[in-house]
Amino acid sequence: MRDKYAIVGTATSDLGRTGMDSLALLEQAMRRAIDDAGLKVSDIDGIICRGPDNIYTQHQRMGARLGIDVRFSTTLTNGGASQILSVALACMAIDAGLATTVITGYGRNSWTRTHASEGTRTSMELTPDDQLPREFAPEYGYFGAVATHAFGARRHMFEYGTKREHFGAVALAFREHALRNPNAVMKKPLSLEDYLSARLIAEPYGLFDCSLVSDGAGATIVTSLERAKSLKQPPVVIKGFGTFNNTRGWLVDDHMIRTAAIGSSQQAFKMAGVGPKDVDTAQIYDCFTGMVIAQLEDYGFVEKGGGGPFAASGALRLDGALPTNTAGGQLSEAHVEGMLQIVEGVRQLRHTYPPERQVKDAEIALVSGHGGNTVCHSSLILGRAA
Amino acid sequence: MSVAELLPLPEPSIETEPFWAAVQERKLLMPKCGKCGKVTFPPTVACPHCDAQAFAWTQMSGRGKVFSFVVMHRVYRAAFKEKVPYVIAVIDLEEGPRIISNVVGMPIDEVQCEMPVKVVYEEVRDGYLIPKFTRR
Repeated sequence: MRDKYAIVGTATSDLGRTGMDSLALLEQAMRRAIDDAGLKVSDIDGIICRGPDNIYTQHQRMGARLGIDVRFSTTLTNGGASQILSVALACMAIDAGLATTVITGYGRNSWTRTHASEGTRTSMELTPDDQLPREFAPEYGYFGAVATHAFGARRHMFEYGTKREHFGAVALAFREHALRNPNAVMKKPLSLEDYLSARLIAEPYGLFDCSLVSDGAGATIVTSLERAKSLKQPPVVIKGFGTFNNTRGWLVDDHMIRTAAIGSSQQAFKMAGVGPKDVDTAQIYDCFTGMVIAQLEDYGFVEKGGGGPFAASGALRLDGALPTNTAGGQLSEAHVEGMLQIVEGVRQLRHTYPPERQVKDAEIALVSGHGGNTVCHSSLILGRAA
Repeated sequence: MSVAELLPLPEPSIETEPFWAAVQERKLLMPKCGKCGKVTFPPTVACPHCDAQAFAWTQMSGRGKVFSFVVMHRVYRAAFKEKVPYVIAVIDLEEGPRIISNVVGMPIDEVQCEMPVKVVYEEVRDGYLIPKFTRR
């Protein structure tokens, strides 16, 4: 499917502390994406959303809000890997003749929802009650995604000598990018000293290793490259995508340090006909700092174990070897489970940013998605139309 | 209401009930395959290694080592307010299964990956025991 389909519209909702419903955030992002593409709502004949959060952000509800019946729609449940999978499925649906113009998206109101009461603020729980583990977790005081991912960070430190300063380099680079993004939630500069002295959450992770609790949504519109050429925006071509899911589990073998990104990236690079050296900017799923380091390795940008020193070398900065999460990422822009990574990848390839935000001469962008109880991965490789 | 009363107990499923019942007797029982000899936990219908349906609940040695661990500082549930900081660990049992537990009974800053551990049984509340691990 290389170079057959394109992203012709993309947008985010308001980000941060919106006080909005998650469905309203997604509707806002979708309507903005339709405007961005220069299309009408009635041009959309496919809807793909990421599935249950606390409130079900489903395709039916978005169809109702947009006021359209569609030829193809569904809801995916691969967690943070769903956003790229939605774009991939949109290509497949169009390729199969099931739709022509598919809108994808995800919205969540994590800040608003967890600040409804003292109890919700303390637990920070985003998982629906009926999906929470009932054994082998609560009795051990094991709650939340921070500890799960911190297991991987700890093992990575043990195996490869990765240091907290390496994790810190990831947080600092993305914060610096957020300062250039007027829509980013985090507005204050972050120093290594700030990073190291912040309160600990689940050691080795402290406050600034963790992505934001924020509201936000994003959306993209996928159609054929042929049609894209007559639309308003410079088309961004879908060169390749891939998925891999370590469905045996995060705790099995060495999955927590060698993630499903390995298999997913190989498939995406193969479809796109490019390799890690061809990537000009990476938009990596940064739920936690250590996951960025593991993925940099799993995508082949550096050898296994080299991710920490690579980040510490300044490689992830806008002027570095691999400008990464150039809008600030989930650590500093807003955490919308990888959706904003797709938006930023598209925007970088349009070359419409002011110079202080633009990755110079960006031709290929890589986007990663990770989630679904930490075992699902998806990869997207975008390019500029020839 | 005292804080200790709020500590969560495990809610056994139909499949894990024999495990938790044995823990109350200070035994660690897990399903061992009668064909290939591998231990699988949590339970499945057939052995994921050889597909045989020949499991028997078998007593484990209680020995293992720490694969990875975190030190929890943040309080997510009021019941754990006086417990922090505490260690949550991924334990590799000698017989193969990898399970979540706590490492207890030793200075937190001495816990390490690959550290040998053995099971201890600790009361959560109301006489209910759960398996935890300590340095051996």
